Parts: sequence; structure tokens; C-alpha cells
Amino acid sequence: MKNSRKRSVLLFLLVSFFLCGVVFLSFELCINSSNWALKPFNEHLALDSLANAGKIFDRNSVILAQSVNSKRIYNEDEQIRKALLHTVGDENFNISTSLQSKFRDQLFGYNFFMGIDSPEFLKKRRDIHINIDSKLCKIALSKLSGYKGTAVMYNYKTGELLCMVSTPTYDIKNPPDLKNKNADNDGIFLNKALSSSYTPGSVFKIITAICALENMPDAANKKFTCNGAEIINGQRITCMGCHGNINLRDGLRFSCNIVLGNFAVALGKKNMQNTTASLGFGKSLNIDFVNTEPSVYDLSADAKDALAWSGIGQDKVLLNPIHMLTIVGSIANSGISVTPKLIKEISGESTHNKLNFKQEESKRYMSNEIADSLKEMMLYTAKNSPISSLFSGSDVCAKTGTAEVGSGKKPHAWISGFSKNEKTPVAFVVVVEHSGFGGEYAAPVAAAMLNHLQN
Amino acid sequence: MLSIFSKIEGYSKSEKPECTSVHEDFEDFLVDFKFAKILSIPYKKSIDKFFYKGGRLLRYLVETLLFVIRLFLPFLGFLIVFKCFRSLTNNKREKVPLIYLRNKILKEFIPVTFWENSIGRSKSSDIILKDPTVSRDHAVLFRREKGWLITDTDSHSGVMVNDQKIEKPTSLYLGDTVTIGGNVLIIKRKESFNDNFDINSTTSKPKKKRKFNQKFLLFLVNIFHFLMAIESYLCVLRKTIKNENILDLKNILDLKNIFHGEIFLDCLSTFFVIFIISWLFFFTTRIFTKRQSFELESIGIFLSGIGLIIVGSEGFQKTYTQLASLCIGLFAFCFLIWLIKDLERSMKLRIVVAIIAIVLFVINLIFAKEYNGSKNWIFLGPISLQPSEFIKIAFVFVGASTLDKLQTAKNLGYFIAFSAFCIACLFLMRDFGSACVFFIGFLIASFMRSGSIRTIILSCSAAIMGAFIILKFKPYIAERFSVWRHVFENSQDAGYQQSRALTYSASGGVFGIGTGNGELKNIFAGTSDLMFPTIIEELGLLIAILIAVSLGLIALFARIYSERCRSTFYSIASCTAGAIIMSQSCLHVFGSTDIFPLTGVTLPFLSLGGSSLISMWALLAFIKASDDRTYSLLFN
Repeated sequence: MKNSRKRSVLLFLLVSFFLCGVVFLSFELCINSSNWALKPFNEHLALDSLANAGKIFDRNSVILAQSVNSKRIYNEDEQIRKALLHTVGDENFNISTSLQSKFRDQLFGYNFFMGIDSPEFLKKRRDIHINIDSKLCKIALSKLSGYKGTAVMYNYKTGELLCMVSTPTYDIKNPPDLKNKNADNDGIFLNKALSSSYTPGSVFKIITAICALENMPDAANKKFTCNGAEIINGQRITCMGCHGNINLRDGLRFSCNIVLGNFAVALGKKNMQNTTASLGFGKSLNIDFVNTEPSVYDLSADAKDALAWSGIGQDKVLLNPIHMLTIVGSIANSGISVTPKLIKEISGESTHNKLNFKQEESKRYMSNEIADSLKEMMLYTAKNSPISSLFSGSDVCAKTGTAEVGSGKKPHAWISGFSKNEKTPVAFVVVVEHSGFGGEYAAPVAAAMLNHLQN
Repeated sequence: MLSIFSKIEGYSKSEKPECTSVHEDFEDFLVDFKFAKILSIPYKKSIDKFFYKGGRLLRYLVETLLFVIRLFLPFLGFLIVFKCFRSLTNNKREKVPLIYLRNKILKEFIPVTFWENSIGRSKSSDIILKDPTVSRDHAVLFRREKGWLITDTDSHSGVMVNDQKIEKPTSLYLGDTVTIGGNVLIIKRKESFNDNFDINSTTSKPKKKRKFNQKFLLFLVNIFHFLMAIESYLCVLRKTIKNENILDLKNILDLKNIFHGEIFLDCLSTFFVIFIISWLFFFTTRIFTKRQSFELESIGIFLSGIGLIIVGSEGFQKTYTQLASLCIGLFAFCFLIWLIKDLERSMKLRIVVAIIAIVLFVINLIFAKEYNGSKNWIFLGPISLQPSEFIKIAFVFVGASTLDKLQTAKNLGYFIAFSAFCIACLFLMRDFGSACVFFIGFLIASFMRSGSIRTIILSCSAAIMGAFIILKFKPYIAERFSVWRHVFENSQDAGYQQSRALTYSASGGVFGIGTGNGELKNIFAGTSDLMFPTIIEELGLLIAILIAVSLGLIALFARIYSERCRSTFYSIASCTAGAIIMSQSCLHVFGSTDIFPLTGVTLPFLSLGGSSLISMWALLAFIKASDDRTYSLLFN
């Protein structure tokens, strides 16, 4: 009988395992409850999922969404509704990164304590104030003029995200019929600023330049000769013009493929990989609980050939627009990158008790000196290019890009840059898909946004 | 008139309900009533207003009552579980020696504390005789109804009682001498030693036992069920008022099906039937078996009742088979306790039971029709049975053994063969959940019998290898694992059930949304394979945890009594039964909530499923049998 007692320890272990599992389950349920409960297929929400939810305001207290008489009502301006669709979101969780999906528990007033059937007095509905300027978004949307793409702008000193527009978009009042598949509606539920990455083309030359300045003591003076075309490491690279023997600064100004391609090869695979990794490639940024699509700098096994192409942002390089925004932001901000912040505050309906977010630390991407010299290069590039006429001020530092995407499609137009002006410390990135030259299609969008801010 | 009303309705809609408390509302109502008199507003108008206000008051009343019940239920549940298990552990028999053996040569007293004692040289023996002439496992001294017995378990030198070598179990009386190797032991009563004798801490001072009122416990269980039933009625009432937007007291009272019979009866009749069954059962066991303990039965009724009322909140007719199964289960519980009372008979019956189980499996394999991917149902006219549930009982029965038989027949061969056959049959039926349950039952039973860790490791590695082979040759089984931990990404296909289960559990929160209010019941297998999430949804996480804890404690109770019971037969059987209940709870709770892949096993006692309920009550009988009070008429 003594043995029975001893041997029954196995049963004791089984019971302990079960009870530990139950504790784990309870824990998981507590942590994820609002996420799990507020799923679109929850029948308890079928009648009034957002019918009595909180309001969403932009930075100028313009109401973007509110609930009146058990109905969700959005801004009365159709263009603003369209421009902010991906930020505010729909009611059916189609746009998963939007506020109405991610913060539905705050808007709905769900609390795990009493579950979904909380009595009214226990529901704490909250309003969300965001940093976005709805007018700026409206301008960006109109300037994108029907092309697919994205435009983002933020304050590189404070991190306030001022503009985030993604196209294609639709009017939430008249949702399109998505049953018939239409190429125009591809990616309509995707916030391209956060959840996509593009071939960067020439804007990536900024990153190659950062790598060169970091790893080559004589980078500023080193010269390469451009004859319009050259075979670098067995890969034929062509250039738009025949720029002669020029240095890095002029290479950026003329966006010379051959100079930058040569720089990449001279730097080598390891340096390029180290720099891109330290600039946050391969990692997601966390923007108010939304993880962005990571940028990719992936050199395949036969890297020798690809290295030259990667230096000018072609081949397998992919860049997330918000990530690029933080990189140009860090150049403007003496090398320190501030993570963009969408949400200004979340307040209770009556008590205005603020919900503080743990602000992600700002991160140093490069040294002060490198940032300064790049700032100068980008200013030089912008001043000596046709796009300078688009911007009203003379303090814009920018680099355009035209990313070849192959398969007979038109290239993506890019611009990334910032304003040096103390009054408007903003950085911007615009991508216009399958349009044409960066200076022609992307720059006007950025210029319109910046000019609106400066006036 | 109509326009006035629509105005009032409109007003009340836009106004937030929390602005006015019930109290204010009532005062408001009185003022209005007085005003109506003073200003001599036409009589009918004030009556209308009275009904309107009354309707509002009623709505507040329903809301408040529901809220209070939701908060109170976990507290009551905690009280029940706490009282029940305190009573169980308090009434444990103390470690007092039953008799003494006096060693004639060494002149020392050896206390005999257990009902079955192994005698031998090995350290694991209950009575250790350090003497090279004694075999490692020499003999077994045990007590049956007729008195004390001793049997030789294939020892080298044999056992002699009063100088006569014994061949079979031999009765012992006070004063008899037993010769084991070089030791001569005399049987003594416990009073026969003098007071200053040291008895090695085997006795402790008898604690003052608080007598616990078993009726009160059952009464608490009834109150819990009653509140659940009332809650389900109030939920229906509230839903009807809300959905049809009825604001007037007159119209509410006009809802004939709610206030006059039908729904009210429908909601409460499940409770009434459980109430009657439980008290009938209570008095039957009191009168016929004279048993005083009723804690395990109470907890069983508590759990079964919760399941029944949740099912019954959808309509009383849905509980008919489940209620019938409960009655059969209670009967099986009593029958089994009676059956295994006689250990000699039980030991002989094991072969019969094993044969019946094998035949049942074969019949199952031949006649069963495929239903929801597994072939474990037999349809006999209107009745559908799941034979594998009943084989669980046989399995526990076959696995158990008394100590003297254990010591003589040391190999596990037959039992391993039997278990392997059961598990193989379950695989052929594609009932992988049950196969897992049987396997864990086998592990515990074989370890309880042999104590050999090698067997455990061997069978575990065999199982893992078998699983790999099956996954390799039957890839469709691996598909079950494909959505594991990503159910929300597959919420429209493979992860349909589990994603709903998680969503609705989260909707329930800590206190639940009320009995009968749940949505998960409408999902396939919502009250059987997804019963635990349904409980979280309707009764809340607190009560769900409480239920899990009480299931765990039922199993743990088997361990607590493993040393105190009257035979290793009971301790092995109760631990195996506990293991089956526990492994089934694990698979159900974790399977339905995506911690494990979904296997489709029922939650013991709670899930809808007749065969399952009957077999769980039968398994509870084995645990009850290990409580030494069960067969004692003199206790209390």
C-alpha cells in the first residue's frame, strides 16, 4: 500500500499539468480577450458593433468618425473619407491595421471583467485623437491623381505622423462591390504605407551613400568614371547619361547608376549588409501597435553580380515607405530617428483620463557628421534638379527615384526627403506605382503637401 | 395619443439609461402620478403613463437581478467546491495501526497500518523484515470482511501459521504465530501493549472532526442550479423585450408565453427534474446502503447539473436523453460500488469484463457507421451508443488488482496486450482523442501495478513512434495539426470551431453573459466538444476555472486516498479512473481553446452525450470505492 501512494505521484503530475494549463488558458484569455472577442463573426456584435462607439478626431479636432443614434457616421467630405480610409478603417475589420480594427476595444468600451454584455455604466468608451492632418491627406490624395501608391509625412523631431494616404481607396459610405475581381481594387484594404514594400530604385542611393560615408574614409573625394554603361562584376549597368569622372556628391545629384554601383561593389557585401541592418532592414517598426512590413536587403548566393544592382536599389531590394521615412527623418534630425506616432491620445468620454503609450525610444541611425554631410548632399541634389521649382522654399533636401519593376510595366516613382526649415521640420516619402519618373509623378505630391504646410 | 408615445420613446432612446437610477425613476414616477391627479389629466393617460413607467421599472429590475446573479454565482460555486473538498479531506481516516505484530525474538511491536500489507526484505515493503532468510516480497497480510488473512507470495522459505506451512490465503486470529524466514510474529490487538511503549509516530492524536452536513451541501448545489435556471429565464425575458422593443408594462405582461407557462416552465423544469433526482438519490443511498458520505456524489451532481441546465436553456426537450443518462449513470454508480465490494469476486470477474470489452470493440468495428469522421457510434433503433465510453469502465476494472495477486503475477503482459488491443481498435475507429485517453489510463495503471519507470518510457517511445508512422502514412491526420495555434487565420475553414470558441469565451469575460444567452451553442458541437468555452461564455471564466479545479480535485482525491483504501484494487482503479477523467478534461479544455489541436472529446460530467455521462458516473464509483468510508457501516 505504501507503493500505491508513491506511484500515484504520476496522477498528481497529471492533475498539476491540467491545472497549469488552465492557468495558462486564463492568462491567454485575459491578454487577448479584446482581440478575440471583437472579431467580425461574433454574433453578439452583429447588431451594434460600432453603433455606440467612441469618436475619432484628427490633429485639428476634425471629427473623422463618430456614432450618432446608433449609426456610425464619418466625415462629411468625401475626399477626406477616402484619404483617411486606411487610417480610420471600416466596420468589418477588412483593413486590419486601421484604428477601428486595432482599437475597437477602446472605441467599443469592451472590458474583460463583465464580458461583452457589460452594463452600460461599466463600459468606458474612449475617443481617439490622432496626429494626422486630414486636409493634408486630402491634398495628397488629389495629387496622387488616381494612381496607386502612398504618401506619408511626419515631423522628424516629435514623430507626429501628419499624413498617411494609401491608394486605391474607396468611400466608406459607398463601399465598392468586391465580388467581381477588378485589377483596380487590388490592395484596396491594404495600407500601403505600413503593410507593403516596394523596389526603391534611386532613393536607395541615399543608403548606399550612408554606407560609403560610414566605411570609406575618403568617400567624399573618391571618383568613378561614368561612360553611360559599364560592366561591373559581370553585370552590365546602364546610366541615364554620360556623367564623366564624378564624386559621390555629384553621383547623387545626377543619380548616376554607375558611380553608385561602383561604390556598392567597392564597399562589399558585408559593409552593405551591416549598414542596412543597422538602419533597420529586416525588422518591423512598431507604430502604435501596428507592425510594419519589414524592408528587405537580401543578397542571394551569387551576390557578386547582384551587389552593383543592389547599390542602386534594384534587384532584390525592397523598401517599406514608413521605414524610408524614418531614415530620411534621421538624416534631417542629426542621425537620430524618431518612430512615427499616429495616436495623440486616447481619452475617456467623460473623465478624459489619458492613456499613455509607451513611447518607443528614438534610435540613432548614423553619426551627426554623416547626417550633416548627407543633408548637404541632398540639398545640393534637390537644388540642382528640375524639382526645385516645385517647392516654394529653398530648404528642401530630397532625392527622387524611378524604380524599374520589369515585365513591361511602368516604373514606380519615388521621392523621399525633408524640409530643413525650423518651422516645418517634416520628412516625406511618396511612392506612385507604375507611373514614370520620380520627378514627374512623385515630387509634385510631396511639393503640394509641403507647400500647404508652409503656407 | 400615438404621437405622444412615439415622442416619449424617441426621448428615451437618445437618453442614456445610466443617467437615472431605479430610485430616481421611481420617484419620478410618483411625481408624475400625483401631477396626473392634480392637473386632472384624463384618467386613461395617467394609466398609460403608469404602464410606461412600470415597464421601465421592470426592465431595470430584470437588468439588476441578472447582474446580481452573475456576480453571486461564482461565490456560491466556490463555497460548494470548498465545502465539499474540506469535508472529504477532513473525514480521512487517521493513520492509526489496525493491529500489531509482536516479534517474538526481537521483542518489538510492528504496527500494521494498512488494509493490505506486503511483508518482505525490500525497502518498498509495508512491513520490512531485515533478515536474509526473508524474500524480497515474501508474503501479504491483508484484511477482508471475514478478518485478517495471510498469503505466501512465492517466497523461498515459505510462511508458516501456527507452525503449519500455508499454501493458500489463511485466516489469522489474535494470538496466532506467523513464521516468516527466521522471524516469529504474534498477532496482537492494538490495546495489548503498555502505554510507555514507543509506537514510532504512527498514531497521531485524533483530531476533533467537525461533522459536516451533507444535506446542506446538496442544498447549496440545488440553489446554484436554481439561480442558473432563473438566470436563463430572465435572459429570455430581457431578449424578448429588447428585440421587440416593448416598453410598456402592459405589453410586457401580455407576452403570454413568457409569463404564463411555456418558457418559464421550460427554463425551470430542467432544474426541477435535477432537484428531484438528486434528493431521491440522496435518500436512496442513505436508506439502502447506510452510507453517510455524499461529497463526491454532490460534486458529480453539481457538474452534471450545470451541463444539463446549459443544454436545457435551449429547450427542455433537448435534455430528455441526458436526464435519462444521468439516471442510468447514478444506477451504474451504485451497481459498481456494490459489484467491487467483494474483492475475490472482482478479481475473478476481470477476465469476463475483458472479454466483454473485446467483443464490444469488435462489434463496434463491424457495425459502426461513420459519423463526423470517426466510426465510434452504434445505432440501435432510436438509441445511439458510443461503446468506447463503456469500455473505459472495463479498462479500469481490468487494470486493477489486489496486492497478493500483484506480487505473485508480476508481469504486465496480459494487461499490456489488452490495452494495446483497445488502443489499436480506437485508431481503427479514428477516435484519436479516446485513444489518447486510454493511453494515459494505461500509463497510470501500469505504473501503479509495477512501479517500473522502464515500462512508462518504453510505452511512451512506442506511442511516439507509432504516432510518427501514422502521420507519415495517413497525412490527412496531420491536417488537424495544420491550424494549431493559428485558428484565426483559418477562421472560415479548419479553424472554424476553435476560433468561435475563443471569440465567444472572450465575449463571456470573467462573469459570463448569462445562462442561455450564449451564441457558441449554435456552432456545431457547441455543447459537447466545445462545452468548456460555452461555460466560459455563459457563466464566465471564474466558474469555468472552478469547474476545472473541481475536476482536478476529483482526480486528486483518488491519490489522497490511495494509501487509506481497503485494497490496492481500489487504489489502482481509482487512480486509473482519475487519470481518465483528467486526461479527458485536458484534451477537451485545451483542444477546444487551441492550446492543443482539437480532438473532439467530451468534458467529463458536463458535455452533452449520454454514453459519456454514464461512463463518467461509473468511473466516479471507482474513486468512491477507494474512500474507506464507502464500505464501512460503522463510520460516523
